[in-house]
Amino acid sequence: MNIEQLLLAVLTYGCLYSVMTVSLNLQYARGGMINFGTVAYFAAGAYAYAIFTQEPPSGLDQYAFGFNSPWWVGFIAAGVAAFLFAIVTGWPTLRLRGEYLALTTFAFAEVLHSIFLNERRIGNGSVGLSNVNRPDFSWIGMSDNYGFAGAAILLLMFTAFLCHRILASPYGRAIDAVRDDETAAEAVGKDIKRLRFEIFVISAVPVGFAGALYAMITTLVSPGLFTAEVTFFVWIALILGGEHTIKGAIFGTLALILFEEVVRSFNFETVRSAEIAASVEHIMTGIIFIMILRWQPFDRFTKKEAVQ
Amino acid sequence: MTDDILVVNKLTKQFGGLKAVGGQGGLSFNVKRGALVGLIGPNGAGKSTTFNLISGVLEPSSGSVALNGKDLSNIKSSEIASHGLGRTFQTPRAFTSLSVLENVMVGAGSTGERLTSVFSGSWRTDEADIKSKAIEVLQQVGLDDRIGDIVANLSGGELRMLEVARQLIRDPEILLLDEPTAGVDPSLQGKLSSILVDLHNEGRTLIVVEHNLHFLLSIADVVIVLQNGELLAEGTPNEIKNDQRVISAYLGDEYAA
Repeated sequence: MNIEQLLLAVLTYGCLYSVMTVSLNLQYARGGMINFGTVAYFAAGAYAYAIFTQEPPSGLDQYAFGFNSPWWVGFIAAGVAAFLFAIVTGWPTLRLRGEYLALTTFAFAEVLHSIFLNERRIGNGSVGLSNVNRPDFSWIGMSDNYGFAGAAILLLMFTAFLCHRILASPYGRAIDAVRDDETAAEAVGKDIKRLRFEIFVISAVPVGFAGALYAMITTLVSPGLFTAEVTFFVWIALILGGEHTIKGAIFGTLALILFEEVVRSFNFETVRSAEIAASVEHIMTGIIFIMILRWQPFDRFTKKEAVQ
Repeated sequence: MTDDILVVNKLTKQFGGLKAVGGQGGLSFNVKRGALVGLIGPNGAGKSTTFNLISGVLEPSSGSVALNGKDLSNIKSSEIASHGLGRTFQTPRAFTSLSVLENVMVGAGSTGERLTSVFSGSWRTDEADIKSKAIEVLQQVGLDDRIGDIVANLSGGELRMLEVARQLIRDPEILLLDEPTAGVDPSLQGKLSSILVDLHNEGRTLIVVEHNLHFLLSIADVVIVLQNGELLAEGTPNEIKNDQRVISAYLGDEYAA
């Protein structure tokens, strides 16, 4: 096991997924909106990045668009794509409450997944877009692995700053009030539809950026990468870390990613033993999940911090 | 501008097939600016429903409500609140994740509730003003010793006062109070009645739903009596006290002369 590689992977993916957990924390723990379609905004960002940066189609390519733009144009496009998709999905659904919102956001994500899978002109259908362009880190003297780890950390810092800034202001107080009691919030003049919509849309943007970063790291976007499993991973990470605090969301995600990467980094002699290990990983994830829900160690840790 | 701050005109509300408010011709009454109006009636008379219709929590089936001459039909309850109408609820509603002070501060419409000012940080200058105003209204309702407390530690009566404070920071022209003395002990009721009289003397219009007639008749200028969603009687406390229809509606026919 190469410790350096392991730590880099944990840091990169941990921060990348934390961006989603922190955004979900804003939407759910503070805004009171259950979004079971997080992966859709992630996928929208990844596809937007790939489409904007790839070369125009030629030969056997089935995709219709490629703009050959520099990476930063694709990165901005990713945020815009997630923003627009949040407007499209948020506008008709945000009057729904609780589990109804959960179901519709889940359905929207499945629809987007299905479009990517079947509409080949967007991203080659099930094959996906490969050889996605990535920025070059050599000009600052960094290898790609370190560069992407740094980028993931920066993106997480940006997201955490954004959420903190919102939540520490009267705006955060107003959305807390809306979540606690909508009728009473309206009685003091809070426009609950506007507040919920703004939180929903603004928290989708960092998720889109995370999608772009993910596409750079894997150099591949395909429908198989953006399934509901991503959404559930983010939800589990958020619950592990304990809702309500940005720190908790990040700790939960890092812990879950660490566990996964450690299991993956073992060398297996036979295919059979690798298969068993994969099953054990799932079982262990379940058991750890139950244990953490029972004792909530991270939640307690972050609460203690909050008191001091 | 007319003398009437609130005009309720042929208001009806149906839930399913049942008419909760309005009866035959709809419910109509006017409230004079600066009046302290008592709204009474037996359980199920439609008092709280009337409040919900006026404040926009419910949409009327027919009829209209006008505040300062402005028709409130199709206006969201949050906007009605911004037009100077404040209200409390029959069951006190508090924001449980916020402290007592924050519960009041959130009542003030801060510029920091706009995303643009969140990022420019311009709300910080207002925040100190809002905080001192919040402390002031908490003192006014006698909750100044609970400022840093969490809402869960407040008693039922204190929660009602908290709701009043949250409305007062908005400086409403007209305040609708739904059963302010329910669950409030007698010593606090005296305090409450002096608070209401103070608000009245400040020139605010108050409409108070109350079952405690002794409390209400001692402070109200005008009393409106509802029964089965219809206006049964309207008059000064003295007139209402001696109205046989009101006595039989409230206490039963055997008490009516």
